[in-house]
Amino acid sequence: MHRFIRNFVLAATAIVAPLVITAGAAQAEGEKYILVSHAPDSDSWWNTIKNGIALAGKQMGVEVEYRNPPTGDLADMARIIQQAAASKPNGIITTLADFDVLSGPISDAVDQGINVIIMNSGTAEQTRKVGALMFVGQPEYDAGLAAGLRAKADGIGSFVCVNHVISNTVVAERCRGFADGLGIDLGKSMIDSGQDPAEIKNRVMAYLSANPKTEAVLTLGPTSADPTILALEEMGLAGELYFGTFDLGDEIVKAIKSGTIKWGIDQQPFLQAYLPVVILTNYDRYGVLPGNNINSGPGFVTADALELVEKYAGEYR
Amino acid sequence: MSDNETAALAADERVKEMSGFRKALIRPELGGIAGAILVFFFFFLTAYDSGMFSPAGVMNWSIVSAQFTIIAVGACLLMIAGEFDLSVGSMIGFAGMSIAILSVSFGWPIWVAIIVTFILCMAVGAFSGWLVIKTGLPSFIVTLAFLFILRGLTIFAAIATTRKTIIGGIRDVSEGDWLAPLFGGKVLTGFFQWMGDNGWIETFTRGAKQGQPVVEGIPMLMVWAVALIIFGHILLTKTRFGNWIFASGGDAQAARYVGVPVNRVKIIMFMFTAFCACVFATAQVMEFGSAGADRGLLKEFEAIISVVIGGALLTGGYGSVIGAALGALIFGVVQQGLFFAGVESSLFRVFLGVILLLAVILNTYIRRMITGEK
Amino acid sequence: MNTDQTPIIEMKNIEKHFGPVIALAGVSLSVLPGECHCLLGDNGAGKSTFIKTMSGVHKPTKGEIYFEGKPMHFDRPRDAIAAGIATVYQDLAMIPLMSVARNFFMGNEPMKRVVGINLFDHNLANEVTMAEMKKMGINLRGPDQAVGTLSGGERQTVAIARAVHFGAKVLILDEPTSALGVRQTSNVLATVDRVRKKGVAVVFITHNVRHALAVGDRYTVLNRGLTLGTSERGKITPEELQDLMAGGQELATLEGSLGGTV
Repeated sequence: MHRFIRNFVLAATAIVAPLVITAGAAQAEGEKYILVSHAPDSDSWWNTIKNGIALAGKQMGVEVEYRNPPTGDLADMARIIQQAAASKPNGIITTLADFDVLSGPISDAVDQGINVIIMNSGTAEQTRKVGALMFVGQPEYDAGLAAGLRAKADGIGSFVCVNHVISNTVVAERCRGFADGLGIDLGKSMIDSGQDPAEIKNRVMAYLSANPKTEAVLTLGPTSADPTILALEEMGLAGELYFGTFDLGDEIVKAIKSGTIKWGIDQQPFLQAYLPVVILTNYDRYGVLPGNNINSGPGFVTADALELVEKYAGEYR
Repeated sequence: MSDNETAALAADERVKEMSGFRKALIRPELGGIAGAILVFFFFFLTAYDSGMFSPAGVMNWSIVSAQFTIIAVGACLLMIAGEFDLSVGSMIGFAGMSIAILSVSFGWPIWVAIIVTFILCMAVGAFSGWLVIKTGLPSFIVTLAFLFILRGLTIFAAIATTRKTIIGGIRDVSEGDWLAPLFGGKVLTGFFQWMGDNGWIETFTRGAKQGQPVVEGIPMLMVWAVALIIFGHILLTKTRFGNWIFASGGDAQAARYVGVPVNRVKIIMFMFTAFCACVFATAQVMEFGSAGADRGLLKEFEAIISVVIGGALLTGGYGSVIGAALGALIFGVVQQGLFFAGVESSLFRVFLGVILLLAVILNTYIRRMITGEK
Repeated sequence: MNTDQTPIIEMKNIEKHFGPVIALAGVSLSVLPGECHCLLGDNGAGKSTFIKTMSGVHKPTKGEIYFEGKPMHFDRPRDAIAAGIATVYQDLAMIPLMSVARNFFMGNEPMKRVVGINLFDHNLANEVTMAEMKKMGINLRGPDQAVGTLSGGERQTVAIARAVHFGAKVLILDEPTSALGVRQTSNVLATVDRVRKKGVAVVFITHNVRHALAVGDRYTVLNRGLTLGTSERGKITPEELQDLMAGGQELATLEGSLGGTV
């Protein structure tokens, strides 16, 4: 029995020790900032964010951490924000994926004297309400609207929106904006594709077979775009169907190059991660702060001028 | 003399030399107790100065543990009764959405919405229990079906009524309601204010809450967790029904032969699990003011893991509510503590897996000593 | 043995059909208080179906059951238990993960009221269990010892003691000795003897003739769903019993040509 417990402790220590050393190595001199995202572990798009804060942390000489709810459950995210506040960092960078859930924990953090910058998801008004310093991101509805107007100018009258994060209201705004840009009702044009690539591909194929008059496809990120590219290729519609997507990734860039995807809307996540760290550090050190929110997007990426995008896709782009 | 008997005699001899101390040590909860001590020891060493043991930090991991506890108590009793419920996570999403739709979209008073939701969830629990009994299928499969059915219904209902998958505004409609504070309120607020005024705990330094303590009070979530632990523990160990729960899970047929109403016990336990999921969901909805269609994802496994860390047997008939609560505590402390310790968050699962494995190995060893299992 | 006594339970021409299969084709049996009535038969003879009918698990397709002289209908096992018919099944007697005391009182938990709530009276349960086990010659480490640590014979004994403690008038033992070693078997047989002397009627199911002869007062042999007759202690030889069990007259006639080798 006693021997067993001793073994238990030894085994646990052996496993835990390397983790602690890893954690120790990340600790640099200087301020500490924590970025809390709403993305589940499976969402690869957030890699760019991780790289962005890591680079900013290195350049500014500050300690940065990235945290997220493993399953993407926003209630869990609220706990992580509370936890981040309790660990007393100099600042927190977080998203406002759901105002009801997150506003309480965020404004509590602000009231404890922690500087907060909202990134990626949220609006200017919500940012003001929770008492955050500023918002860095892409106003989603406006981005969708801009894309919709562009598509309308290209002669598009109907579309399908492939939504892989059906529970995220903010992201769904992109579809609504796009529909409004086209001047049509969103109605049944949005499909819940789930997160699994095979399922997404087959759902897109099923939808397009059932609705052959669909003129355009809009995907909301690499998670839904990559399988959709495959779906269109398999149906022989690659290059035929008007295909636009939000956000960039390796496959998306290739598809833009080959002409399968007409344009990608880049919200430039790198800036959403990099800028808040730089801004917070300078605010803490010298008390300087830009006077307005920063729109990191939308930027339309088309087949022209793809070189840099191609080089850094999935890393910094 | 058969081999069997030789083994039994040998076992008797070994049993007799057991000291009182050792006897006190072997309890179903031992794995949980050892794990909790180990985990706290580890975080005291690695995260002591990170704010993890400040009032706000303690509150943070306590709430998370309390959440796990609420669903773990239900899952524990059901598992001891010999069944699984994989639909707990979906039930949480479903219950939250039901409250939101009934109160915000339909405009019903929030207390009606809460009561109707509880009835609805327990009816679903009773139905899945009835299906398990009636069809004789493993509850694993039946409740797996409900995992999908409930999640799908939740998303469908949300989109069909509001075109959104997150329904907010519950905080406004629950204003002044008599039942809502039972789930979303806080107790002992005066005590914490007093501690804050005396400077014993931190207070907000700016904003609308300036001067108020960072920890305002004990959330009802924790009160529910403690109440459920006490209720579950007494029910299981001190009542006739508790004996029936053990019997139903230990050997349903043997229990039936001596007149234990096994079917009724199992169905009631399914309903109790649904009740716990509903408590979880209601408290969450009241605290955050919104319901989301993806709430509660994977919570069924978190509940089951807590229960297993707490020493319960996956095949039923053996376990402890106190153990399950300790399992939930370990789970919560590890999950939040790794953030405090600054460990790369993707390693959380590795750590959890290791803890689970160690706890199960230790528990199996203890159980063999107690029950003479081969 | 006084055969003029009223049988405590009497089964008359019991038939049980499962769809097209006739499991019992008219079985009759009567059990007197304080006797050990052995029910013998080969595999598939209908012993299990018959005792399940007696204990309320199956309802007979045809035939009558008289309990203490009055006709009875058992819809559920609970009815039979309530009437005083307890059955101890070979492997399903006890739940190994539970303590002896919890097993002993399973389904019959003693209660006490504490601040208006009915609670399981563990103290009473523990005392009674220890006392009863001592009477049966089993020394427990404590009432919280798990049944899984007991031997097979001890488990049967606990189950029998439990049934008797809760007022069983008829005790049905389903092959209690078939999986046991020699010493454990004699323990169980001694227990049966002790119980019988208390006036409890025992129905002892077995296919081991030696075990039956050791404790039985009367022997009834079943074959292919029919009673081959009942015989009293001392009026039948082991060989005759063996023959009856193995196939009755058909085999007996065969035996001549086989030269007594079977």
